[in-house]
Amino acid sequence: MGAIESPEPEGRDTAFAMPADVDIDRVWIGVAGQVWRRQPGRLELLATRLLRSPGLARALLTTPSLLLPWFVATLVILCAGVAATYGTDQSAVALIAPALSAAGIAYAYGPGIDPAWELARSMAVNDRMVLLVRALGVFLLDTALGLAAMLISSAATGIVVGWLIPMTAVSALALAVATMTRSPNLGVLAGVGGWSAVLYMTQATTGSFADAVNLSAFTFFYLAIAALCAAIVLYATRMTRGTG
Amino acid sequence: MNIEMDDLTRRFGRTQAVAGVSLQAGAGVYGLLGPNGAGKTSLLRMLATVIPPSSGTLRLLGRDPGAAAGRREIRRKIGYLPQDLGYYPGFTVVEFVEYFALLKEVPSSKVPAAVAAAVERVELGGKAKAKLRTLSGGMLRRVGIAQAIVNEPELLLFDEPTAGLDPEQRVTFRALLRDLGETSTVVVSTHLVEDVGAACSQVVLMYDGKFAYRGTPAELAARGDEHSVGDAPLERGYSAVLSGVRS
Repeated sequence: MGAIESPEPEGRDTAFAMPADVDIDRVWIGVAGQVWRRQPGRLELLATRLLRSPGLARALLTTPSLLLPWFVATLVILCAGVAATYGTDQSAVALIAPALSAAGIAYAYGPGIDPAWELARSMAVNDRMVLLVRALGVFLLDTALGLAAMLISSAATGIVVGWLIPMTAVSALALAVATMTRSPNLGVLAGVGGWSAVLYMTQATTGSFADAVNLSAFTFFYLAIAALCAAIVLYATRMTRGTG
Repeated sequence: MNIEMDDLTRRFGRTQAVAGVSLQAGAGVYGLLGPNGAGKTSLLRMLATVIPPSSGTLRLLGRDPGAAAGRREIRRKIGYLPQDLGYYPGFTVVEFVEYFALLKEVPSSKVPAAVAAAVERVELGGKAKAKLRTLSGGMLRRVGIAQAIVNEPELLLFDEPTAGLDPEQRVTFRALLRDLGETSTVVVSTHLVEDVGAACSQVVLMYDGKFAYRGTPAELAARGDEHSVGDAPLERGYSAVLSGVRS
């Protein structure tokens, strides 16, 4: 093709004129960054402010057992508990909630349940902190749901405080077993199994399941279990020389 | 030196996965070759600070990964692509890369541009808003590479990075490796000796938890002869070294 020379008139200002030192790739990256930018929701902004870490806030909101399907399942179980409470005059909510929380916490973090667990282990945001924040998040959500359910049910408020302490112990037990064995399923089994054993023994001794959350004599036992399990979790997540 | 290891071991119960290896590595691309079970992945996991060594000395980027403060600093400056990249199916490409940028503590103000640069570098700009569950295996691998490079790391660790990539993407990835190796230490574990020949400045061959060979790809190729197994010189060199250590 014969090219026709048409030199630009000197000093002409065109719409496409660009200084020679502009790096178009760099400009595009800046534009793409703004176009693709994700706007964090209110919950994430609040979590970022509270935790003082955007990474931790994002990790909290990606907790497998805080996602919508879990939330719905938890609600369904608690609603069933409220219905059972009305039907039997036994506070089923108080008996169900610790097991629910234990399952949620066991499924909060770890190999086999968090898809990106190995990758997350290599991140600057400490995986222990991720575990702690997620466990607390699940615990607080379940506590809030349990309290809401208690308010709906008739035999509510008297046993709320007593119920929170066993829930802490059972959740800590599930977390410790899930962390030690690296299996969320075993964690759930330990939490639900342990709580079932306590309920069975209480029923056999006093004749009422509800005494497991009513009797203050159990408080020290629950707190000791919670403290022991917390220590186990701290030990299991330490980063020292290892063979495991 | 970005990697300094001396007599490093890693045991899993009675099994010794890594058996007393020593290496010093600065900038460049290091290919980690070896048969299945040679200890490559365990070594990479130690370098990525995912698992601690059982014994020996390890320093990364001039710091001790055994100490919490040192480990945090190291993790801000490393990129790691594990063999099995777990991903959240509901995340988009950008959300996934952004998530790991945040976990690597890239300053919030720099995250959007860093994410865009990483996504463009692996040529996934056209899929930036696509959910991960809709992507092919090769594209997911590239998402994994994007998250690894999003913090402009000084130490990059890739475990089977080209698995699932088509030939054209592999050629592009090798060019990326060479580019990254100009300023960073890049360790690539792979079974594909042609990747090593095309992209690596140094090769380390592992067998039974130990380093059986260390040198340049050309030197490894020179180890092979007409009796060695393999279609290409590097493959023949690889099989010749392996035969040597096995006998």
